[in-house]
Parts: sequence; C-alpha cells; structure tokens
Amino acid sequence: MVKRLLLVTALLAAGHAQAEEIAPRTSVIDANVADAPVEQSDGFLDPLRSLKFNPGLDQREFERSTLTALNVYDPLESVNRRIYHFNYRFDQWVLLPAVDGYTAITPRFVRTGVSNFFSNLGDVPNLFNSVLQLKAERSAKITARLMFNTIIGVGGLWDPATKMGLPRQSEDFGQTLGFYGVPDGPYIMLPILGPSNLRDTTGVVVDYAGEQSINYLDMANVTSDHPEILFLRAVDKRYTTAFRYGQLNSPFEYEKVRYVYTQARKLQIAE
Amino acid sequence: MAAAASARDIDAASYGFPLTNPFEATIASTPPELRPTLPSDEDITQADYSLTLRPEREFTLPDNFWPVKKLKYRMARQDHEAPLIFIIAGTGAPYSSSTNEYLKKLYYQAGFHVVQLSSPTSWDFMSAASRFATPGVTKEDAEDLYRVMQAVRAQHPRLPIKDFYLTGYSLGALDAAFVSHLDETRRSFNFKRVLLLNPPVNLYTSVSNLDKLVQTQVKGIDRSTTFYELMLEKLTRYFQDKGYIDLNDALLYDFQRSREHLSNEQMAMLIGTSFRFSAADIAFTSDLINRRGLITPPKQPITEGTSLTPAFKRALQCDFECYLTEQVIPMWRVRTDGGSVLQLVDQASLYALEGYLSKSPKIAVMHNADDLILGPGDIGFLRKVFGDRLTLYPHGGHCGNLNYRVNSDAMLEFFRG
Repeated sequence: MVKRLLLVTALLAAGHAQAEEIAPRTSVIDANVADAPVEQSDGFLDPLRSLKFNPGLDQREFERSTLTALNVYDPLESVNRRIYHFNYRFDQWVLLPAVDGYTAITPRFVRTGVSNFFSNLGDVPNLFNSVLQLKAERSAKITARLMFNTIIGVGGLWDPATKMGLPRQSEDFGQTLGFYGVPDGPYIMLPILGPSNLRDTTGVVVDYAGEQSINYLDMANVTSDHPEILFLRAVDKRYTTAFRYGQLNSPFEYEKVRYVYTQARKLQIAE
Repeated sequence: MAAAASARDIDAASYGFPLTNPFEATIASTPPELRPTLPSDEDITQADYSLTLRPEREFTLPDNFWPVKKLKYRMARQDHEAPLIFIIAGTGAPYSSSTNEYLKKLYYQAGFHVVQLSSPTSWDFMSAASRFATPGVTKEDAEDLYRVMQAVRAQHPRLPIKDFYLTGYSLGALDAAFVSHLDETRRSFNFKRVLLLNPPVNLYTSVSNLDKLVQTQVKGIDRSTTFYELMLEKLTRYFQDKGYIDLNDALLYDFQRSREHLSNEQMAMLIGTSFRFSAADIAFTSDLINRRGLITPPKQPITEGTSLTPAFKRALQCDFECYLTEQVIPMWRVRTDGGSVLQLVDQASLYALEGYLSKSPKIAVMHNADDLILGPGDIGFLRKVFGDRLTLYPHGGHCGNLNYRVNSDAMLEFFRG
C-alpha cells in the first residue's frame, strides 16, 4: 500500500512539475484563455474554456484522493458489513414503519414538542462535555439554553433559546476524548445505532451513564418506571435523523458512510 | 429554415438569476429565498412502491444486492382525477434524488399525480429493471424505462388519470425524448406534453466534459494533501471561524462568500468527482451483472460480509470514457453486428431523433447557455431543431436554476398551456 502511495505521489509530483511550465501550444486545452467566457455564435458560453487544465489530461488526483480516503482502519469489516445490512433491514422493517405510524397519529406541534423535549435533555451532556473541553463561552451558552428552554420553554417543550440566537451545539464524550487526542480506534458498526468507532462507542456509554446519574428533570427515574418513554425517544431520534439507508444509491454505500462518518467526527472535534 | 421560429432567449438582465458562475450554480443551485414555495413532504400523499421486473436477478445477483432486487419508485397521488407526470432522474440518480423530489413537489402542488423514476444509469435500475444492465445505448434504456412505466400504470389500475405527461433532467431528459419517441408507436400513454430539462445533445461530448473536470489544476494540492483533505481543511477553518456547525441550505452561499471560498478549478474538480463516483458505480454494477470480469472476478463468491473495497478501488479507475469503451461498445457491437463508435454516439444522442423532435410541437426543451455538459455547436443544434420550443437561459450552469422561481413558473406554464 505504502509503495503504491509513493508511486502515485511521485507521479503526481511529476505532474505538478509539468504543470508549472506553460502549456504547449499543441495541448488540447489552451491554458491561458481570458477569464470571461466568450459567447459563441449560437449563444453558447463554454464554461470549460475558463478552467486551467492539467496539460496532457493525465492527472490522477481523483484516484489518489479517493484511494487514500478509502484507508479507514476497519479490522472488523466483515462483521461490520453484516451489521450494516442488519441495520438496513431493521430500519426498513421496524424503525421507519414506527416513524410513519408516529407521524400518522400525532399532529406536527406535538412531534416538535417531543423533539424539543429530548433535545433539551441532551443539552445536559452537551454542557458537561463542553466544560470538560474547557470551552467557556460555549458552556455559558449551553447553560443559558438549558435555563431558557427548561423555564420559559416549559420543561423543554419549546425551544425559545434558538430563536434568541443560541443555536444548539452538540458535544459528546467521544468528542471530548478526541479533543484530548484520543485516536479513533477501529471503525465499529453498532447494531441499530449505526456507524461509530471504539472511541465514540466509549463516549456513548459514558454519556448514557452520566445521564442516568444526573437524573435531570427526574427523567432517569421516570424512564425506568415507564419504558415506553425510551421507545418514544428512539422513535423521535429516528424521526429527527434525516439519513435513509440506500439514499446514497451506490453499491459502495458502506465505504462512503464510513468515510463520511470518520471525517464528520474529525470536523466536530476540531470546531 | 425561414419557417422555423427562433428560440426564446432570456436576457440576463431581466432574468435576474444571481449566480453567474456556472460552477457555483451547478453545485449550490438557487439561493433559498428565490426558490418557489413548495409543500412539505408531510402534506403530500405519497408512498414508495416496488416492481419485480427481472425475477431471475433474485438468484443471479449477490446477497448484498438485496435492496435492489426489486425496482422502487415513488408516487404522489391526488385524491381526485388528475393528470399524471413521470419524472426521470439524471445520471446515476435514484428516484429519490433531490431534483426529483423538488420536481415532485412542484408538480404535485400544481395538481398532478407524480411518479418519480430512477435513471437507467442508477444502480437500482440497472440491477432490477435493465435487460442488459449496460446503460448508455439510449434507445435500449428508453425501452427499459417504458416497461417500467407500463408496470407502474398496471400497478395502479384504479388511479383516475386524465392525461400523461413526461419530464426529465440532465440524462433523464435525453431518456425522456427517446421514451416519447417510443410512445409514438407503442401508444401506451400518448404523452400530451414532454419537457426536457438540460439534456445532453451529444452524449459523447457530455461524458468527456465530465471526465475532464477532474483534470483541472487545483491550487493547494501537494504530496501530503489530497484534494479531499484540502476541501475538509477549508470546511474546518470555515466552521472554526464561524464558531459552530450549522448545515443548512444557505451554507454554500455563505461559504463561497467567506475567505475559504472555492476557485473555479476546485469547484470543477468537485463536480467531476461526484460524476466519477457515478461512473464507478455504473462500471462496477454493469460488470458484475454481466459477469464480464473486468472489475469483479466472475466466480468470486460475494456475501453480505464480503468487502467490496477492492472492487471499488478498481471501479474508481474507470471514468465514463473507459466504461463506454470497455463495456458499452463491445456489447453494442455484438448485439448490433458491428458499427463504429461514431454510429453509437449518433444513435445514443439527440441527433438520432432530429426529425421527430423538429416535428413534435408537444416537446420542448429548457437549457442554459453556460451548461457544462454542452460543447460548441450543441445550442445551435437545439435552435435548429426546436425553434421557439427552446428556452435558453443565460445562466444556471448544469441544472442549477431548475429551482429558480422564474424557471419553475415557466415549467408549470408549459404543462398548463
């Protein structure tokens, strides 16, 4: 793999050395055309005329980028793929029908209230993790959100904070670990919950344990008496998650989800 | 020639589309405040249905193809008698693609039953509905589509339908032209009006334009930074400046106004990249279904646990041109007993229908002067063939202005008229 990468890199470097020279006149694409597209007699504004192309059109940057991007540490791939297919079926046959039933029997304002309520609960781990990452301003904002939404928003059923210019900012323990430099670890496809990795799976467990011990709004206690709340929470989670299996419409959806998940987490940790 | 009316040229000043850069328009499409108001999904009576068109594929396709052994489509229905419109998606796009969804909402709101179909180049269509699973010969693709449309009609015998209409965008528009032509002899639908949105004129020009987009010289790429890393770095810095992550429709405009904005070359690379992924899906799927052995070894057992990454890596090396020369042309030659590449290009492009299109007042086309899938002379061809049934917008790139209010009004106006 390293060898191939070296080779590709070397090829690319050669390509760059070439690119710095002026394109030869025989090249298919003239490298120095004016920026403004010239209108042709039939009204065509050739947008490709304004682009600087690699002379010879033999750049392999797409291939290099993509092959590099496919290198995600995934030692459990075979099991992960089976779980991915299990999740796909579970989603189609259980979760999405549940969401459909839920949308059919509840008016929209109820669903929004439910989403806001659980989202307000979620601000508790957001606050803790943002404190753990020593983000003072963000912690203050999340605290303000919690106060406004819990008090003015009646236990979180409304979300006045977002309208006041305090958008929801999510922080979880996986991000906190990442913030302190803990690496991803192997990619893991969690049953039902979907893509994760060792670090973020740990984060999920810690956040859950934290929520249970804080017992905000007495939720942990009430939930243990009324497990249907857990069910509602799961349905709401699916209702608010836009992702649909198969929406990438590709035989390589597993690879694409894996890449996007890994990069999205990096982005969330970095900001 | 004197009899032919001239095209409707919309001039830039009165058109008012804000994105004059064709690459920005292609990627970002219309700013949210200039889009038409549309119903939300929850206000539409709609469902996904599936058709078994190729039952043998149930056994011949590997296990991990289970989601695409039946062809899915989406139908939104009115509760009274209404006209029905079929929408055909563009290259590699499924029935649920965002442009299909947008067009569905637009026409549903205007009182149509709407059927959304996957493109014949989409992997679900190739697996579940395509006879040869080698899209690119437009006439064959149109036959596959026609069968799908007939099966859709047969699945809803009690749906009260007034008339049939047809539209498609990008490659789907080219397909729509061929489907309409086929319907003139088969007469299952008698389409009342057909609207082609940003069709390729010469299929070969279009695919080579798209292939070429990944050949732009992008600043900021070096040995240690790949193109994706460059894009992600920009995005990270952008969100860090902003202070929080907020993904919404306006993100792209805001991003392009920020310090991290993309150059034309970078945007071209991005568009090219997305098409290369479609090309990889098509090359892989076609090869696998036909057991050609170019990408997947024909006898390799594939289960749900099998890694497809090695096949993906091979498929990624194949662009549209490679797919055409390695898979489409050999198959087409065998089936039609010879024939040159030029002949195929001629048969698969709008040229093949020149006579039909010029004499069919029910078919119209909307295109953009700065569309990246066109080449020199293509607009001239459209002017000659369609006359005043061509509406040419000055900006919009490739399909970037479909959701601009001026365009949506014109689209509805055409079907109403």
